[in-house]
Amino acid sequence: MSTTLTTSAPATCWACSTALGESPLLCVACGKVQPTTSLDYFHAFALARKLQIDLPGLEREFHRLSRRLHPDRFARATPQEQEWSLAATALLNDAYRTLRDPIARVEYLLKLEGLEIGEEHAGVNKRADRQPPADLLEEVFELNMQLEEMRMTQKMGESDPSLQRDLKSARTKFETLLSEVDNDLATQGRAWDEGDAATRPAAAKAMAALLDRRRYLRNLVRDVNQVLGA
Amino acid sequence: MAYSDKVLDHYNNPRNVGALDKSSDEVGTGLVGAPECGDVMRLQIRVNPETQVIEEAKFRTFGCGSAIASSSLATEWVKGKTVDEALGIKNTDIVKELALPPVKIHCSVLAEDAIRAAIGDWKKKNHVSEAVEVAVAAK
Repeated sequence: MSTTLTTSAPATCWACSTALGESPLLCVACGKVQPTTSLDYFHAFALARKLQIDLPGLEREFHRLSRRLHPDRFARATPQEQEWSLAATALLNDAYRTLRDPIARVEYLLKLEGLEIGEEHAGVNKRADRQPPADLLEEVFELNMQLEEMRMTQKMGESDPSLQRDLKSARTKFETLLSEVDNDLATQGRAWDEGDAATRPAAAKAMAALLDRRRYLRNLVRDVNQVLGA
Repeated sequence: MAYSDKVLDHYNNPRNVGALDKSSDEVGTGLVGAPECGDVMRLQIRVNPETQVIEEAKFRTFGCGSAIASSSLATEWVKGKTVDEALGIKNTDIVKELALPPVKIHCSVLAEDAIRAAIGDWKKKNHVSEAVEVAVAAK
């Protein structure tokens, strides 16, 4: 996995020295593909590191750049440019997939900002301040027990209508909690976008905690659906 | 990623799955979670009030194979130890025993947290004052 997420792209085209404008992947003046070394996803689309994104605009830009960077267009270019066009296309795809998803976008931005997010960083991250609130744990544990009971009942070929009802109301409840988390994430996202160096760390921390909570809720919704759908 | 044989053994044949009476004064309960992956782990101990020896331990973990193996191993290890000895169990011991890969180290941290939380709960119930673990109040 790449760890160089800092933005340090050349500011001008390697071929014609024009300043790179709309996207650092492509020169608007001469149409040459640019080297992609350690470009972050926001930068690839010439976007500021902000969470509110114009999605239709992002999609348009993705298609436009994809067409112009397509390796077929560089079939007769130098091997170096062919390689860059492949790399630029791959980067563009990853960047688009990440930025168009609001949750992946937050996770990515927090990683860029140096916060430890998600499972791959979990080993480094030692305890205590990351313990979720006790009431959430109790809830999660209880629901898991209920799910387990439901699975056992199903295995024995019986159907228990009250358990079914409990599970459905639990699903509704957890989906509601999930949408509350998403609303809070949006609020903190706005705080990030409109904030400055002094206020942004608090927003980032709040978002990291919300993502933790969201992971629990998402697992629960997934598990309930699995049992109900079986 | 492949699990080690020891993880698989604990996963397929977990030791001490179950529950102890939460309301008993002799029982300490620790409920902890790993927000990175959404795991929850409950570890319970029954302590002999005379000797302070952990005579019984049970766990219930909803999570990945490594989390289940870590908590299964933790219950095996705490049994027969005094509460103070049990506090000496470190997550790194669990990592070593189960040969956990770096991405699964947090499962062992969770098991250590669960031991501490269970002992903390038991101490609180029995008014055993000791400032060792205020941080893992996890309650």
